[in-house]
Amino acid sequence: MAQTQAFETDFWKDANLRKVWDDIVPGEPRKTIPYTLTREAIELYCKSVGETHPIYFDEAYAKTTRYGGLIAPPSIHILLMFSCTPADDWMRSPGTVNAGQSWSYNIPARPGDVITLQARALDKFIKRERLFVVHDNVFFNQKGDVICSGRGWTIRPI
Amino acid sequence: MTTTFEKLRAGDAIDGPTFAVSRESIRLFCDASLDYNPLHLDDEYMKGSFGKTNFGGIIMHGMNNFGLISRMITDWAYPAGAIHRRLETRWVKPVRPGDTIQPTGIIKAKQVTEKSRWVMIDVMVRNQTGEKVATGEALVEFPRDLFCQ
Repeated sequence: MAQTQAFETDFWKDANLRKVWDDIVPGEPRKTIPYTLTREAIELYCKSVGETHPIYFDEAYAKTTRYGGLIAPPSIHILLMFSCTPADDWMRSPGTVNAGQSWSYNIPARPGDVITLQARALDKFIKRERLFVVHDNVFFNQKGDVICSGRGWTIRPI
Repeated sequence: MTTTFEKLRAGDAIDGPTFAVSRESIRLFCDASLDYNPLHLDDEYMKGSFGKTNFGGIIMHGMNNFGLISRMITDWAYPAGAIHRRLETRWVKPVRPGDTIQPTGIIKAKQVTEKSRWVMIDVMVRNQTGEKVATGEALVEFPRDLFCQ
């Protein structure tokens, strides 16, 4: 299974396989891979931004809440964006600059969820000599429920 | 004091956590997000220019700002039984190792819809000199069936 392979942290590897701005077709789906979200991955993400709320760590507490169990922070899509895409995805092109993002949250992701992504470039344009691509993403859980949806503006490397 | 939809007023402030940015914190965010873009790792690469922009060294992930703002919103919303529903952000300035950043929010408006109640919040992140490094807006739902945590 793709998700059990070690994640390639060298983004230069396979860089020549990735689409450049000229190749990206707005509307064309991106290849994606299902990802099983683990408690460990949630806890590592929490650590990286200093999240300490017990709803992410303490199962007994989480059971008393609206959610009835442990959840991931809404912003876990930051991890899901890379864990649900293959190494040749253009989001990994070295020098890709993130200009801004907007995300809407429906239900939380939970440990053990098998998460899928539907994603595409939605638009591309040139502004002040910069090459922009707008990407559009929806994450689902194993039941087909929408977890969150979002859009991002990236400046492509030249 | 417990935050309630009724008591909230435009102009009310939300203070987020301070966050010390270091090479280690940026590396940890790489490992946690799987975003190993050399912008965040490779000083040699960052000596080069990106079009008209030269960053001069590695920079923090823009999405680290996003994660901090989101943390501020959820930590504020959970005790009130409210739900973080949306966040939009734009990056204004790069953040570098050695910077200390802090998100804040200001209540902009409230809206009641057919089935729920909503609060719009202007958010921003400032660095240690008070410069804005990120701006945006958040939307928090205050359901009528409050479930305080």
